[in-house]
Amino acid sequence: MMFDCFKKFFEYSIIFFFILTLNFFIPRLMPGDPFTFLSSDEGGVHQSYSEEQIEMYKAYYGMDKPLQVQYSDYFKNLIRGNLGYSIYYNDNVLRLILRSAKWTLGITLISLLISTIMGTILGSLSAWYRNSIVDRGLYPVMILLSEIPAFLMAILLLFTLAAKSSLFPLSGGITVFGEYETWFDKLLDVLHHGFLPSLSLTLSQLGGFYLLARNSMITVISKDYMRTALAKGLSSKRIILRHGLRNSILPIITRVFMSLGSVLGGAILVENVFNYPGLGRLMREAVTVRDYVLIQGIFLVVAFLVLAMNLLADVLYKKIDPRVG
Amino acid sequence: MKKILKLLSLIVVFTLILSGCSQKAQNSEGSSSMEEGSSPEELEESTKDESVEVEATSKTEPLTLNLEGGDWGYPTPYAHYARGPGIYKMKLIFDSMMETGEEGLIPFLAEKWDIEDSGRSYTFYIRKGVQWHDGEALSAEDIKFSFDYYKEYPPVMDDLARSKKDYIEEINVIDKYTLNIKIKSPDATLLERFGTARIIPKHIWEKVEDPLKFQGPEAVIGSGPYKLADYSKEQGAYKFEAFRDYWGYKPAAATLRFIPVSDPILAFENADIDIVAITPDILSKYQEDPSYKIVESPAFWGYRILLNMEARPELKEKALRQAIAYGIDRDELIDKVARGAAKIASPGFLPIEHSFYNDNIKKYDFNLEKSRSLLDGKEYEFSLLTGNSNAEVRIAELIKLNFEKIGIKLRITSLDMKSRDAAIKSGEYELVLNGHGLWGTDPDKLRIFYNSEFQETPGYLNEEIDALSNEQLVCTYPQKRKEIIFELQEVIAEEIPMLTLYNTSGFTVYRPEKYDGWTHVFNHHEITHNKISYLIME
Repeated sequence: MMFDCFKKFFEYSIIFFFILTLNFFIPRLMPGDPFTFLSSDEGGVHQSYSEEQIEMYKAYYGMDKPLQVQYSDYFKNLIRGNLGYSIYYNDNVLRLILRSAKWTLGITLISLLISTIMGTILGSLSAWYRNSIVDRGLYPVMILLSEIPAFLMAILLLFTLAAKSSLFPLSGGITVFGEYETWFDKLLDVLHHGFLPSLSLTLSQLGGFYLLARNSMITVISKDYMRTALAKGLSSKRIILRHGLRNSILPIITRVFMSLGSVLGGAILVENVFNYPGLGRLMREAVTVRDYVLIQGIFLVVAFLVLAMNLLADVLYKKIDPRVG
Repeated sequence: MKKILKLLSLIVVFTLILSGCSQKAQNSEGSSSMEEGSSPEELEESTKDESVEVEATSKTEPLTLNLEGGDWGYPTPYAHYARGPGIYKMKLIFDSMMETGEEGLIPFLAEKWDIEDSGRSYTFYIRKGVQWHDGEALSAEDIKFSFDYYKEYPPVMDDLARSKKDYIEEINVIDKYTLNIKIKSPDATLLERFGTARIIPKHIWEKVEDPLKFQGPEAVIGSGPYKLADYSKEQGAYKFEAFRDYWGYKPAAATLRFIPVSDPILAFENADIDIVAITPDILSKYQEDPSYKIVESPAFWGYRILLNMEARPELKEKALRQAIAYGIDRDELIDKVARGAAKIASPGFLPIEHSFYNDNIKKYDFNLEKSRSLLDGKEYEFSLLTGNSNAEVRIAELIKLNFEKIGIKLRITSLDMKSRDAAIKSGEYELVLNGHGLWGTDPDKLRIFYNSEFQETPGYLNEEIDALSNEQLVCTYPQKRKEIIFELQEVIAEEIPMLTLYNTSGFTVYRPEKYDGWTHVFNHHEITHNKISYLIME
């Protein structure tokens, strides 16, 4: 057991080291640097830096040193918990990330929670009443939902619910310069803004969870213990919940943790559609302007989150499924 | 192991996707997250009582203008981003000795100025009674201080460019309101550069040693018509309030709000914002309705193709360059790509609406016959590098079709903006398409773009162009300088070392009932990017 834990830790450390290294090199391998501006989007205006300015900025951010020195500096700083200083935003990277991560985590966790619960319930129902009207109605709808990418859903929702009917705000995470009577008003405002982004993510995840829950349940239903339960004359509620769901839930729990990566990926695009102030928007901008320090920081945090979730899935799976480990 | 692979591929895919689809980012919403401006509460506090008074003194309802937001950095000369929307927000707070007006430079902090000693001595007479936002008085000392501070710490907009090779001999404060600058050799661009350098308060910045990190309420104390009242980096929102003790022209709005929008047109329709740039496709929607006013911008934003004569020495031949120039159907590009909202770019570079534009130069109307005869049966193959915006890719494809007819084969490569810029910088291209603004600024641009010293066209050298472009720089007699620049355009048009395509004009629409003071200045295409649009100029 001790050895297992150690092995796991070692495995994850190696992965983490690889990620850190890639984090450092990938942004720098992209052509372009943070200080060269020679063109603008149509209608836009940019200020080109002179050679002297570029030299000054490079020295200021330590980018005039050889790459291997920068690489070792990067690790030294990481060990001290210092993610660096953003070139474009002129601000501490950790602070930048924490500020936007709360928005992203908010919409991803909420939508993950809702899509899991809804998906499981609907999937179980569908399996239990297999080939009934409910099942035949739900199945194609869910297949369709699972194939629509989150950002497309977001655009549809933006046009119908926000632009056409003005039920929801077009963009942002909170009313700008808003003044609130109580914290509850503020919460309502945040929820109002977060509703559509969360809904797009929920809908795009729902299909997957539904299909998984349905399949898993169908397998479980065919098991002998289910027939026994039926034969014992138990109520169907008890059979679904106690005997069915308990056994079919395993793959769903794993999926919850494993899907964090894809939900985050979806959130990045959805945030850009709604101009939502989360990590996704920050990441897009960081890549566009080649803010190496910030790109590194964001990838690091995202990689860390996904890895942590994987680890959690490993551990939890062992806990709830006695057959593993 | 599978997980490792999955994760790695996730990271790689993110990078690729994001660098691929990044080009639309900046224009509208710009950026993202973070810090609520260093301490908005404090700022709010200090301005609250004043805003109340502004409301009390004006007879009519105080005007609040709403514009498209996005994060463009903290509006100090060091912390704003190097893009238009960041630059002009900073300018609203920080005045300079002159500002760009409708016809030319207009006096601001300097009431008047003299240039003597054949352009070697500049004397500026500074306006009396100008206050900083914190109540201190502005004097010639502040201007000398700003100029010296910029030498040590170049700001984002480093038009003075003193840090490497200082051309200023000495700056003398003659009295509290008179400043004299002596320079080593005459330079026709200096008046504007001196005039538009932002003035920062000495009593605040003299203590600042790391201006890039200097942010907070003190850092945004300027002498301009607006004060920063609130800023949220995270949301991309700014609130400016009129400075009630401003020395002159009255601020047009009591409050300016820059708010984040997902789609500017939708936001304009909802009346969330008061002015918006529109594409020609939806022009008709607003044309009929008298509650809207549409203005066409001067065409000072344009596309050009650079030729790398080091990579392809055959481009040194004038006949080939002219053949290429005749082989581009600019009318078709304007019609199909710009939807009519553009003007043909002058082969002499300076756009038609530029005050130095020479109309009497060689033109290259689309003419395949002429092209073929200049090529004389020779065939070529070039690679053309473009950015990845729709417009750029379309321009490249349309040019390719016409070039095929004259026997020139084009291979088109499309990269994201940053990668293309990097290729231009390192010279790794044969032909490259590039779009940018500021075609309307000082004609010294011709020297930067065509003089062999700067190698904008790698491998190109023309002694006449070099001589003329150097001559105009030191010529301090405006009329004489204009003549030289006219001649320079003639030579450039004949030589055609780079291909200018078209200058976009673009439309802006607003509701005049709410505010009708939007004005274009003489050298810039963006109606919202100048200070006089936010002032009542009487």
